[in-house]
Amino acid sequence: MQDAIIEAHGLKRYYHRGSETVKALDGVDISIRPGEIVSILGPSGSGKTTLINILSCLDAPTEGTLIVAGKSVAGLSEDELVEVRRGVLGFVFQQFSLLPTLTVAENVELPLMFLGMRVNPQRTAEVLEMVGLTERAKHLPRELSGGQMQRVAIARALIMDPKILVADEPTGNLDRKTGESIINLFKHLAAEKGLAILVTTHNLAFGYEVDRAITLEDGRIVNEEDLRRSRESSGRRTEAAEQVAPLN
Amino acid sequence: MQRDQQKDPYIVNRYVSLAIKNLRRRPVRTALTVAGVALAVTVAVSLGGFMLGYRSAIDRSINMLGFQVMIMAKGCPYEAATMMLKGGTGLLYLPGDTYERVKSDPDIESITPIFVGVAQKQGSSIRDEGSANTFSVISGIDVPSYRVMKPWLAFKNGPGYSGGRWFSSERKDEVVIGYEAAEYEQRKVGDTFYASITPAGKPDPVLHQFKVVGVLERTGTQDDGTIFMPIEVAREYFNRPNQLTILGIKLKQFTSFKMREFETRWLKLPEVQVVGLQQVKNTLVNLVATAQTMIAAVAAIAVIVALIGVINTILMSVYERTPEIGIMKALGARRGSIFELIWLETLMICVIGAALGSLMAVIGSGLVERAIKAMADLGVSGSIVRITPAVVGYAVFGAVVLGFFGGLYPAWRAASMRPVEAISKGI
Repeated sequence: MQDAIIEAHGLKRYYHRGSETVKALDGVDISIRPGEIVSILGPSGSGKTTLINILSCLDAPTEGTLIVAGKSVAGLSEDELVEVRRGVLGFVFQQFSLLPTLTVAENVELPLMFLGMRVNPQRTAEVLEMVGLTERAKHLPRELSGGQMQRVAIARALIMDPKILVADEPTGNLDRKTGESIINLFKHLAAEKGLAILVTTHNLAFGYEVDRAITLEDGRIVNEEDLRRSRESSGRRTEAAEQVAPLN
Repeated sequence: MQRDQQKDPYIVNRYVSLAIKNLRRRPVRTALTVAGVALAVTVAVSLGGFMLGYRSAIDRSINMLGFQVMIMAKGCPYEAATMMLKGGTGLLYLPGDTYERVKSDPDIESITPIFVGVAQKQGSSIRDEGSANTFSVISGIDVPSYRVMKPWLAFKNGPGYSGGRWFSSERKDEVVIGYEAAEYEQRKVGDTFYASITPAGKPDPVLHQFKVVGVLERTGTQDDGTIFMPIEVAREYFNRPNQLTILGIKLKQFTSFKMREFETRWLKLPEVQVVGLQQVKNTLVNLVATAQTMIAAVAAIAVIVALIGVINTILMSVYERTPEIGIMKALGARRGSIFELIWLETLMICVIGAALGSLMAVIGSGLVERAIKAMADLGVSGSIVRITPAVVGYAVFGAVVLGFFGGLYPAWRAASMRPVEAISKGI
């Protein structure tokens, strides 16, 4: 088994709201391996977004240890967290969050600017091809459908060749069919690129199509299912049943 | 891998390009903010141009006087200054023997007596536009000493002007006309010029007919609007024998010490004031200093209002783009990158505004000059608004400095946003 790319133990995140302490996360242990797609499920307010924000180094835990790509991130400053995120983590958000005045290609190339890197048109074309938007490179976001905008956001996350892709409700603003195409793209990226994908979703259909589904409630993990193993053993059972059947 | 790519040497261009695109997202708001800055810069450049131009005009006018010191009858120093440069109407006269007494002063290099009077033009002008324009300044001069003071005086040539000469001191009907007076009156050499002069102590004016014997080239001084005649003739017509208006003096050594010495020596004469160039200059500068201070205050207010407008615009833009800024941070932007981007946007508004404002000031300088001259008689001839590259440079630099400081707060605010909170604002 490969080493975990994200390893977290006893993660807690408490907020103070007046005199009340809100336990958004209350002791979460989690590890994610390369090439694995993990969905975080749970009702609103269960702590899904808090967990994903902490695991992606956008927020810091109140307590607990977190190792991302072999580096402990506990106690790092905001600028140090930026350094950890750079080149390791790619982000996809529910709202797409594309810059409206930039073309598809320019949006995809935006992270390079923040790293002071030269644009490589070949690489841009490559990631746009990965998400099936080669023809749309020069279009503005307003000329795209919701699904296409989400694909641009995925391409933007991929341009830096990250090890982990974090997607917060990536299908939340999409219809079922478009949502499925995004899920299939994630599966393809995980299988082909060995990308670890961490995704929060309300969509149970998608939530159970991944390798592992973690269900949160009141900031705690209440259920964790290894769906790949289930599918594999179910597949083996079906295969065995098919082999046994003629004998009967 | 992408991370192994070379650093982009033109990264600044990409920030500039992104900043321009961000500003273009709200074109009306950006245009209004730029217009505010441009207006403030126009006022500042025009004011700077006026201050510079007015001082230059004073210097030019004073230098073209030819003399450094004048002795005149005691009175208002403002009037003295104006009279020296433009010719005045509230004239006071010195006793004629003042010339005889002063000219022997050992510090004097040259001296010229001048008699100034005001005549009424009697139907001589084809552009008689009412009483305001029916007066002519008559200067009675002693040609040899006057020419020593003003060696640059020359006669205009060309059809109708050739053969110009100074009047002979014996003739009482010859005049030489300054460039603008000749243009205004449409007089050439050989033409007739009529003027009504009211002799001192007499109730009625007497009409005189003069022959124009020369028209002077333009000098940019009050000489351009003056009618010259021999000093003795002028005194006679104005019935002021042996009286003088001004004694123009050039000292052998013109230092503040020598000037003070000279002044002390001649102030003992009754009813006399000794006025030096610097004094005249200061008087004229003081004359408009209050107005300049007020204009400067207005300009400062305009600049402050423009700056507040810029800060407000950028803060609104930052507020609107909060989730976007959060996303940029998530994508790898450091605090410094966000700071630079927002700060650059502020700076660009100020630089574009400053460039447009300077252009407006340059284009509108003629209009400003006409407006100032229409509002007040500043006592100098020639251009009084002078917009130089240095003035424009200072204004642009000032706008950049304001943009520099004005952009700090919005940029700091954007850079300080925590990505999680910023992103959540868009949900």
